[in-house]
Amino acid sequence: MDAIRLEAISKQLGEREVLSDVSFTVKQGDIFGYLGPNGAGKTTTIRILLGLLQPTSGKATILGDDVSRDEARRKVGFVLESDGLYDNKTAEENLWYYTRIYGMAEPAERIDRVLELVELRDRARDKVGTYSKGMRQRLALARAMTHNPELLVLDEPTAGVDPSGQMEVREVILNMAHKEGRTIFLSSHNLDEVQRICNRIALIDRGEIKLYGELEQLQRERSGNEVEIETTEAIAEPLLAELKSLSRLGLRERKGNILTFAPQEGVRIPDIVSLLVGRGVEIEGVSKKEASLEEIYSAILKEVEPS
Amino acid sequence: MKGMLVVLRNDLGDTLHSKSLLIVVSIIGALIVAAAVGVPIALKGWLADGISWDEAKPLLELCIGLAANYVPLIVLFSCMATWATDPIAKEKAKGPIESLLATPLTARGVWIGKSLAIFLPAYIIGLMATLIVILTMNLAAILPTTGHFVLPLAAAFTSFLFLPLFMLALVMVGIIFSLITNPVIGQTIIIFVGVVLMQVVGQVGGRILWLLTSWDYALYNLAGAALLGIIAFYLSRSLTKEKIILSSKGRWA
Repeated sequence: MDAIRLEAISKQLGEREVLSDVSFTVKQGDIFGYLGPNGAGKTTTIRILLGLLQPTSGKATILGDDVSRDEARRKVGFVLESDGLYDNKTAEENLWYYTRIYGMAEPAERIDRVLELVELRDRARDKVGTYSKGMRQRLALARAMTHNPELLVLDEPTAGVDPSGQMEVREVILNMAHKEGRTIFLSSHNLDEVQRICNRIALIDRGEIKLYGELEQLQRERSGNEVEIETTEAIAEPLLAELKSLSRLGLRERKGNILTFAPQEGVRIPDIVSLLVGRGVEIEGVSKKEASLEEIYSAILKEVEPS
Repeated sequence: MKGMLVVLRNDLGDTLHSKSLLIVVSIIGALIVAAAVGVPIALKGWLADGISWDEAKPLLELCIGLAANYVPLIVLFSCMATWATDPIAKEKAKGPIESLLATPLTARGVWIGKSLAIFLPAYIIGLMATLIVILTMNLAAILPTTGHFVLPLAAAFTSFLFLPLFMLALVMVGIIFSLITNPVIGQTIIIFVGVVLMQVVGQVGGRILWLLTSWDYALYNLAGAALLGIIAFYLSRSLTKEKIILSSKGRWA
C-alpha cells in the first residue's frame, strides 16, 4: 500500500489554479523530498494531504484512507510552515494537549519517549516562548510523533534554523525514518538537505509536477556522459592545450587536479586514461560525474521558464 | 464531542491562567462590593420611613429586577468582549489553529469548544456577582425590615438562564465570524450586538421599568437567544476547515 497517493489533484483558489493535475505516490519507508520555488503549490499540496483544503478535483489518500477521513489524520503526524506551538505553555503541556486530541493511552510515557527522541527532556518544563528556533522545530517534530503515526508530513522543518540547529533537526528526521521506521514527506527549499536525506523526489512549479522519481535514477539520467579524472598533480599547460585540441575527448574543465570530460560517441573512458598515462600523468581516480540536485533543479526550472 | 471537550479544557485553562481574568475579576469584584454595600444602605434608609409592604413591593421588585438584569449583562458582556477574539486572532496569526485543524478535531468541535471556554467562566462570574448583589440586598436590607425575600421568578429566569443563553448564542455567532473572517469582525459583532442590547434594554427599562421583572421581558430574552442560536446554527453549516485556513491567510470565503 502507498503511504501517499495523489491522483490528478487540482485546486482552484478564486481565479487562480494553484494545483493542476498533480499526481504522485510516496511508498512506505520513503523519505520523499517535495521541491519547488515559493508559490509553486507545495504548501497547498500539504494542506490537501492534511484535510485542511478540499481539492477541486482528483483524489488523495493516506495509507489507503481518503484524506477527508479521520482515519487518515490519525495515521499522519505533521510539522507545518508555522510550528503551531503555544508559547505560553511548556513543552510538556504542548504535547499533553495533542495526546488528548488523539485520545492516547498512557500519554506521560509517550511524551517522555518523544522528548527523549528530540533530546528536549531536560527542557520539558520550560515555556516554549523561551526556546530557540531549532528547539521549537525539534519540539514540533516531537509533537508530530506523539500519536505514533506511520507517516510524517514536514513542511520546511529547517526553515529559519541556524546551521547547527539544521543538523540537529535533520538528525531527528533521519532517526524517525531509520530507527522508528516512519515514512517521511519532506517539503523543502534546501536542496542540499533533500539530496542528503531523501531517496525519492518530486519537483513542482506553478502547480504542476515537473519531475518525479528515484533521486539516484534522476541523477543518473540527468548526468549525461561526463566523467571526472583525478590526477596526482595538476597537468602541465602544454598537455592541457593538447587535450583541448582533441575535440572528440570533450574536455570541459580543469579544476585543480580534476579534469572533466564529456567524450564524443565512440571514445571510451579507458582510451582517455591510456592517453593521459601515455603522457606520464599519474591517475588518482576516475568517476562518472553525477548531476547534483541543484543542477537538476535549475535545469528543470529553466526548461519551464516562459520565454 | 470529545474533541470539543479537549479544546474546551485547554482554552479554559488558558483563560483561568490569564492576566485578563485577574483584571476582570478585580474590577467586577470592586463594583460588586460597592453595590453590595451601598444599595442595602440606601434601601434600609428608604424602608425605615415606615413604608407599607404593598407600597414597597413593586419598587423593591424593580430594584431587584434591575440588579438581576444589569449585573449579569454587564459581567457577561465585559468578559466576552475581553476574551472572545484576541486568543483566536493570536492562534490564527501564529499558526496553532492550523495545526489543531490538521488533527482529527472537527471545525465544529473547535468552534463549540472555544465558544464554551469563553462563555462558561463569564457565566460563572456573572452568576456569582448577581447572587452576591441580590442576596446582600435581601439579607441586609429587605428581609430584616419587611420580612420578605424579593426575587420575582421571571427576573430569576431572565438573570440566570435566558440572558446567559442569549449571550452564549451571541458569543457563538461572534466566534464563527472570528474563525472564518478577520477576528476583529467577530469582536465587532459581539460588541455591537451587546451595546445595542444594552441600549435597547436601557431605553425599554427607562420607559417601562416594570418590564424587567415581567415574563414578557424574560421571553424577549429567550426569543433573542433562540434567534441568535438559529443564526449560529445556520452559519455553522458553512464552517469548514478550508474557510478557517484561508481566512488566516487573508482570504475570506
